[in-house]
Amino acid sequence: MANLKDLRAKISSTKKTQQTTRAMKMVSAAKLRRAQDSVVNARPYALKLRSFIQKLASCPEVSHPLLDSSPIKGKTLLLVLTSDRGLCGGFNSGINKYTVQYASQKSKNDFDVIFLGKRGADFFRKRDFPTIDEIHGLAKTISFDVAQEISERVLKSYLGGEYSEVRIIYNEFKSAISQEVIDERLLPVSLEGGSNEDYTSTDFIFEPSIQSMLDELLRKHFAIQVFRCLQESVASEHGARMSAMENATKNAGEMISSLTLNYNKLRQAKITTELIEITSGAEAL
Amino acid sequence: MGLELTLVTPRKKIVTDLPVKNVKVPGFRGELDILEGHAALVTTLSTGVLEYKEFGTEKVGHAAISWGYVEVIDDKVTILAETAETAEEIDLKRANIALEGARERMKNTQDLLREQRKFERAQARIEAAQTRKH
Repeated sequence: MANLKDLRAKISSTKKTQQTTRAMKMVSAAKLRRAQDSVVNARPYALKLRSFIQKLASCPEVSHPLLDSSPIKGKTLLLVLTSDRGLCGGFNSGINKYTVQYASQKSKNDFDVIFLGKRGADFFRKRDFPTIDEIHGLAKTISFDVAQEISERVLKSYLGGEYSEVRIIYNEFKSAISQEVIDERLLPVSLEGGSNEDYTSTDFIFEPSIQSMLDELLRKHFAIQVFRCLQESVASEHGARMSAMENATKNAGEMISSLTLNYNKLRQAKITTELIEITSGAEAL
Repeated sequence: MGLELTLVTPRKKIVTDLPVKNVKVPGFRGELDILEGHAALVTTLSTGVLEYKEFGTEKVGHAAISWGYVEVIDDKVTILAETAETAEEIDLKRANIALEGARERMKNTQDLLREQRKFERAQARIEAAQTRKH
């Protein structure tokens, strides 16, 4: 049985932990808001760009290697998006679990992985994975430039024929308290769904040529896709951390109240025994 | 009725379906003034200043844009720009610093193209910012 002093120390340390988790929750909530805004702001651009490409691609005279969706023969490049820091509930473990499962269905020569975010990279370092690169420090600055750099690199190896497919695994931002692991194909670009309008109906002027424009647009589209996934992932991370810290704060509160109850009980028992001792001492006289 | 202008960037939506009288854009082959009844057109944009006159109020808006696309279809103008800053948001001082910095770096750099693009961007920003004054 713990003595009073131990209990007191435990209560005060739990209180301090609670303070930290509460502060972390507040910080995440603020960051989440910003990240959420940027996710929402980026959407119209991505949608417009997509409809642009769809319309261009429907012209009969165009074709492009990035659009070629013949059956996949070669290697797959996997981009795995995690966070750099922990303490965010199931955010990273969900991704890691999915990736392990994905890998178990394929042979090691079928795919290569680029880890974006430290957590995923750390997890798989010991697991003998075909990792070709790790990129860290994404959460601090999700600028379009970073996304463009990544996308240009991936495009280069894709167009060089190294890979025949590029997939991304990331957490999609559903709401502040829920996120979902998504496995999405980035390349070749699939254009299913969306509008059926095209540029063939009206007599259009294209400057410069339609082919070179499509090429640029597709590159841009890919960069935007990467950018969007990064943003979604960062927003989810903050959301996940916020709810994890919220839970931690609540649990700490429960622990404090049960510890305090114990402490009071013990204190009272001690007083009672002291009183009995005094009265029985007095009786003996 | 005039034209309807939509200007979006990856960062944010600047205007949507704004009724305008005309839109001047820095096109692929020089400046392009789009008026009502323009032929259907798709073209790339270079770095420069975008100018539009709002319908009715005659208010003129300016924005510095860098590299993008414009689509004109049925009097709807959609502009997808990589970056776009309206004249009101531009910090003239910073733009000047960026311009000088880029000019210096252009003298000895491996990546001339990149510096050149920065230089052009700063120039466009300054040009757009100067429209505020008059």
